[in-house]
Amino acid sequence: MCGDRARPPRAGPLRRRAPHGERVGIADRFPGHNRPRLTPAGSEPPGPVPEGLIRIYSMRFCPFAKRTLLVLKAKGIRHEVININLKNKPEWFFTKNPLGLVPVLENSQGQLICESAITCEYLDEAYPGKKLWPDDPYKKACQKMDFELFSEVPRLLKSIFSRRDKEDCSGLKEQLCKEFSKLEEVLTKKKTTFFGGYSVSMIDYLIWPWFEWLQAMELSECADHTPKLKLWMAAMWEDPTVSALRMDVKAFQGFFALYSQNSLEAYDYGL
Amino acid sequence: MSGNATKTLGKGCAPPGRVPEGTMRLYSMRFCPYSHRTRLVLQAKGIKCQVVNINLRSKPEWFYTKHPFGQIPVLENSKCQLIYESVIICEYLDDVYPEKKLFPCDPYERARQKMLLELFCKILCYQKTSFFGGNCISMIDYLLWPWFERLDVYGVADCVDHTPTLKLWMAAMKQDPAVCALLIDRSTFLGFLNLYFQNSPDAFDYGLTC
Repeated sequence: MCGDRARPPRAGPLRRRAPHGERVGIADRFPGHNRPRLTPAGSEPPGPVPEGLIRIYSMRFCPFAKRTLLVLKAKGIRHEVININLKNKPEWFFTKNPLGLVPVLENSQGQLICESAITCEYLDEAYPGKKLWPDDPYKKACQKMDFELFSEVPRLLKSIFSRRDKEDCSGLKEQLCKEFSKLEEVLTKKKTTFFGGYSVSMIDYLIWPWFEWLQAMELSECADHTPKLKLWMAAMWEDPTVSALRMDVKAFQGFFALYSQNSLEAYDYGL
Repeated sequence: MSGNATKTLGKGCAPPGRVPEGTMRLYSMRFCPYSHRTRLVLQAKGIKCQVVNINLRSKPEWFYTKHPFGQIPVLENSKCQLIYESVIICEYLDDVYPEKKLFPCDPYERARQKMLLELFCKILCYQKTSFFGGNCISMIDYLLWPWFERLDVYGVADCVDHTPTLKLWMAAMKQDPAVCALLIDRSTFLGFLNLYFQNSPDAFDYGLTC
């Protein structure tokens, strides 16, 4: 989904002159998380990022981008969001990331950071406040080793999502249950609610977005045999950062329906 | 670093004892590129380390207590803490031994090196300086090096002919003391490959006389 590299058709830019004569693009009229996509007609590149702010190129339903949004929120980092239409990308977006993928961070010095896990680590290192990765090198290494156990889940969920005939999915669902068992083992060994200890930390935010999908994809039963994982999910829903960025189940389902039909409107569902 | 040129431990071998205070132990295999990464970092940072080579076709039973799937490399310290995955080990070593930092201190430069690692095979557009991190050798160069050293042995070194900056980088890397100290002898490596493809358990000890 986030790897789609379709290029937008050529079209003239849509510009609206502000009273003082400066040109603004469509993106500037809608600050914040629910800014509409940049249409090919509005494919004017955004200007430089103002001092004191960091910009994220994102997509409202992308789980990889959600990781970065969670960290931005958890650390209270002032940011602006530009959502990209991933089936109709503006040409200029490839100057931000040659692979054309979200999320991408851009700071006021024009530095660009790609790859969701790298963006999260960058934010934790560059900004003060609560550290999400532990300070102790061994504890940090342990979280990273545990994080490796999650690596098959995104691919499996995407495969289930792509299948139109739900009966085909039993094999994939079984594999998903196996992956969840690995995570259950971690929680059993650690004897803590969260993957990093007694409070939410980086590893919890890195894996959370896919668990947010389970309900919308009607896969909640895949966690039935992993009680500690279920408790972790319930605890995550209580986390202020997670609940502040919670996406409505109906919005996800609306997005999935349109996305499966290859609709260009999918990314703006609900706006 | 000691013990790299030692025979592998295989099925039936007794487990090594506790790691002495002030040193590290690396479970490794001489011809594995992932282990090579961690050995480069240990060498470059001057970390006291004992290498224990593992026979990957006939693993000692106790090795599964060091890694759930018996993979190498694995790092063990004197507190019996175990770390695996080559990049995680390298980062851990950089954190624990801060005297000679291989990753840069600046968060953006650190992120840039990690992005480069992700783009392992698409690196050409990103190399603008002698080494991947700048004008001096640093973490990203060591993390990429093992595969390029093997290009020559595999007989595919020609693939960098039309990428002059990469060729220059390889030449510069061969001047680095840590890289030089661990350079694999071509005939030894070919001997290993030959036995390996015949599924011989003796492959891993090829070239050792003791």
